[in-house]
Amino acid sequence: MFRKLRTLLGAAALALALPSAQAADPIRFGLCYDLTKAYTFITPQVVQAVKDYAALLNMKGGLEGHPIELIVQDHGNEPQRGIECYERVKSQAVTVDLLSTPVSRAVLPRAMKDGNVMIQALVGRGDAIDGEVFKWVFPLGPTYWGQAANIVSYFKKQSGGSLKGKKIAFLYIDYPFGQEPIPVMKELQKREGFELELFPYPLPGSDQSSAWSQLRRYQPDLIVHWAFSAMHVVAAKEAKRNGIPLDRMITVNWFNDVDLNNIGADAAKGIRRSATVTSGTEHPIVKDILRELYDKGKGNGDRKFVSDIYYTTGLAIYAPIFEAARLAVKSEKAPLTAERMRKGLESLNNYSANGLLPALTVTAKDHGGGGRTRIEMWDGAKWVPQSDWFADYTDLVWSTVKQHSGEFAQAGGK
Amino acid sequence: MFYRQAGIHHTTYRGDRALFAIPFERWQIGVLLAFALVVPAVVSSLYMKSYVLPWLIWSAAALGLNLILGWAGQFHFGYAAIMGIGAYTAVHATLNRIPFEIAIVLGGVMATLIGCAFAITALRVRGLYLALSTLALQFVMDWVINKVPAVSGGTQATIQAPSMRLLGNEITSDAGLYYVALVWCILVTVFMLNLRRTGLGRALVAVREKDFAAAVIGVNSFYYKLVAFAMSSFIGGVSGAILVFCFYHAVTPEQFAVNVSIQVLAMVIVGGLGSIIGCYFGVAFILLLPGIVANLIFAAAQALDLKIGIELLAHIPALLYGVLIIGFLLFEPLGLAKIYSNLRNYFIFWPFGYAKK
Repeated sequence: MFRKLRTLLGAAALALALPSAQAADPIRFGLCYDLTKAYTFITPQVVQAVKDYAALLNMKGGLEGHPIELIVQDHGNEPQRGIECYERVKSQAVTVDLLSTPVSRAVLPRAMKDGNVMIQALVGRGDAIDGEVFKWVFPLGPTYWGQAANIVSYFKKQSGGSLKGKKIAFLYIDYPFGQEPIPVMKELQKREGFELELFPYPLPGSDQSSAWSQLRRYQPDLIVHWAFSAMHVVAAKEAKRNGIPLDRMITVNWFNDVDLNNIGADAAKGIRRSATVTSGTEHPIVKDILRELYDKGKGNGDRKFVSDIYYTTGLAIYAPIFEAARLAVKSEKAPLTAERMRKGLESLNNYSANGLLPALTVTAKDHGGGGRTRIEMWDGAKWVPQSDWFADYTDLVWSTVKQHSGEFAQAGGK
Repeated sequence: MFYRQAGIHHTTYRGDRALFAIPFERWQIGVLLAFALVVPAVVSSLYMKSYVLPWLIWSAAALGLNLILGWAGQFHFGYAAIMGIGAYTAVHATLNRIPFEIAIVLGGVMATLIGCAFAITALRVRGLYLALSTLALQFVMDWVINKVPAVSGGTQATIQAPSMRLLGNEITSDAGLYYVALVWCILVTVFMLNLRRTGLGRALVAVREKDFAAAVIGVNSFYYKLVAFAMSSFIGGVSGAILVFCFYHAVTPEQFAVNVSIQVLAMVIVGGLGSIIGCYFGVAFILLLPGIVANLIFAAAQALDLKIGIELLAHIPALLYGVLIIGFLLFEPLGLAKIYSNLRNYFIFWPFGYAKK
C-alpha cells in the first residue's frame, strides 16, 4: 500500500518540480483557493484580478525589479487539501491566502506556529485583525462586526441622528457567517435604543418564506441582510411577494453584478450594499489593466468580469499586499522573508491604491487597516456611493475583537 | 513463488489461526512497519504532514466505520458526527485541564454513549430506514454544534486545541504527532485484524448476513448490533480527537459536517466492505487522490504553458476523478481491496498459473 502511494507521490513531486525559476528572484504569492466548490461565486474573478494586476505590475518592472509570481491551486474548500496546499507553498511564497472560512480556520494554527504570513481577507476569524494575538494573520479589511456597525451608523445618520423607535430586522443565513454580527447588533440595540428582531433562514438559503412572512408582520424600517450569491435572488423574490420594497434593505458586501442581473436591474432598484472597495471600470488601475491587457488580448479571463465588484475586491486584496512586498524589498536588499513581509504589511500607511480601497493603515496592533466601508445604492443603472469611507463604533468592534482574540490567546493558540 | 505456501504445516491451532500464515506476508508487514517508523526521516515534511499523517488518521476512522458497515452490515450516515463528538469532547476536556490521555478516552466514551443512545432507537429499523435515522444523528449534531455556543466556541465557531501533552511530554514536533497517529492507527488495525477471529466478530458477520437467521442460531442480533455501534463509535470518537490534536489543531463544525460523513462512507465502500487493507486504499483514493490529480494537472498545464482558464483547469481533476471512480467500480465493484486480493491470488500461483483450479 505504501508502494502505490509512493509512486503516486513521486509522480506528483516530479511534476511539481518542473516549474523552475525564470527571472532573477521572483517574489511568489500563494493563492490556495476554492475554485470548484462553495466559493466559486467569487474566486474566478479574484484570481483573474490578481493575475491581471500582477501582469500589469510585471510589465512595469515588477516590485523594485523582482517579478511577481503567483501560485494558484485549488483546495475545493476541504480543510485537508487546504493544509496540503499551505504546506506546499509556504516555503516558496511570502504570503498564503486561502479565501475560504473553513480552510482559513484549519490553516491558521499552522501559520501561527510556523510564522508565515497568512492573508485572510473577508473570510475566517473576525478577531484576526488583532495583530497582537494574530501576529501572522492579515485580514486587511473590515470585519463583519465592523460592517454591521457601519451599516447601523449609516442608517442612524440617514434617520437624522437617532434610531429611537426605529425597527431594524437582521435577516441572515443561519450558520456562523450569518450569525457572526448578532452580538454587535444586540449591543448596538442597547446603545441606540432601536428595536431589533432576528430573522434566520436555514441553509442553503433557497427557502426563506417563513422568515419573510414574519418580516411582513414586523414591517421593519431597515433590513440588514447577511447572505451571498443566490440567496439574494431568493430574498428579492420573497420581498416582492410580501410587498416589502428592496430599498429598505442593506446587504453585506457579498452582492455582485451576477446577483443583480439575476434579480433584474430594474427590480433591484434601490437596493443598498455595504462596499469594501470602489467598483466599476473608472479607476486608473482598472483602466490600465483594460488598456494594457484586455485591449491587446492578454487578459487573464473574460473581459465582462472586470466590471464586477468581486474583480475589484481581488485587486483591493492584492494591491496592499504587493505594495507591502515592494516596501519590504525596497528597505533591504536581502531575500524577502516572512518576517520582513510581515513588517512590510505592518508599515502600510494610508494606502488606498489611488482610491481603489478605503485608505488602509496597518499597524502591529491593527491588522485590519481601519475597517472602513461605505454604502452604495443601485439606482437602476449604476452603483451610487451614499457616503464617504467611514468606520464607526470602533470601540464596540474592538471590544468584541479583543474578547474573542483573548479566548484564542488563552487557549494557548498564541 | 513470492507467497510460497509449500512447507507451511499447521500442526497447532495457534499456527493455524495466525494473523499472517504466509511467511512472505509477515516479511511484507515487517518491512511496511519498519518503513512506517522511519517515515519522518525519509519522507519530506510536506508529504508526511499533509499526506501520510491524515491518511493514517482517516484510515483509523474508516476502519471504525468499516466495523459497523462491513462487519455488522449496518448503515451509518452520521459517522462524521460521531468523530465530531469525540473531537469536541476531547478539546473541551483538555481546555478544562484534564490530561490529554484521559481526555481522549473521554472523547471516545462520549461518542460511544451518544452513538449508543441513538443506536438503541435507530436499530428498531433496518436498511435504508436505519441509514436515514443515522443521518438524523448527523443533523442533530450539526444543529447542536451550530446553536450551542458553549460547544462551538461562540460566533467564531472554532476552538483552538491546546498542544498535546502525552505522559508529561509536550508533543509539538511533526514527527511526534506522526507517531501518535501511527500508534493509534496500528492499534485500531490490530484490533480489527483480531476481531475477525473472535466469536464476537463471527457473530457480527452472522448478523450482517441475515439478522433473523442469526437469531435462530442463538445470536442476539440487537445486542450485537448495539455492540458494533458502541465499538465503532469509540474508534470514531478517538479518531476524531486524534484528527484534531494531530492534524487540524483547531476544531470547527465543518470538519465534521454531513459531506464528511459521505466521504468516510465512500472511503469504506470504494476500499471494500469488510476489508482492512481496503480502508487504507479507500482513504488514499478518496482523501488524497483528488489533491494529487489536481496538482498533476496544474503542474502539467504550467509545464506545457497551456492557456486554460483557471476555472476549467480546476474542474478537470474533478472530472478525471469522477471517471476514475466509475472506472474502478465498473472494473471491480467489490472495491480496491478486491483488486489487491486478485493480485495476491495471482502471485500465490505465479508462475504456475495453470495450477489454479
